[in-house]
Amino acid sequence: MSKQVPERYYDMLHELQAIDFVLVELNLYLDTHPQDAQALEQFNTYAQHRQTLRNQFEQEFGPLMHFGHSYSAYPWQWMETPWPWQV
Amino acid sequence: MFTLRKHWYPYISPFDPCPPMRVKTYVTPPNLYVGFQPPGLPQFPPYEALHKGTLWPIWYDPYRGKDEGREADEQTSS
Repeated sequence: MSKQVPERYYDMLHELQAIDFVLVELNLYLDTHPQDAQALEQFNTYAQHRQTLRNQFEQEFGPLMHFGHSYSAYPWQWMETPWPWQV
Repeated sequence: MFTLRKHWYPYISPFDPCPPMRVKTYVTPPNLYVGFQPPGLPQFPPYEALHKGTLWPIWYDPYRGKDEGREADEQTSS
């Protein structure tokens, strides 16, 4: 039986996905409302939260993105399973 | 507050061959009533926003099916 990822993997991905969606919505909103300080502040807090979430995830499960957008532990982790469609 | 579902009552002729449809409903999108989005609108929490597909409840306008949408719509926006 190959390496199975723990339940935490899916929970963290789910949270990351939710935060990303909120960031996308706020980004689009801020495109048309550049003066909205409250939304901008929310956007920055969510962006920071996403950063910590991503680092946490990558510490544990390896890089989320390639081509330099994520670090990798030794040995090279990018080609390790599970790939996105296998998750 | 606005409602998304509008009703109209077609004329029913005594010579109609089929049982008449007394009320007909059509749905209008929320953006007709809001125009330029004001700042500081209430928001969904992240997980719910992801599930519902929008961050602001004001834009949440799913297809609730042919009939059950009517009462659901009355509750939410009346």
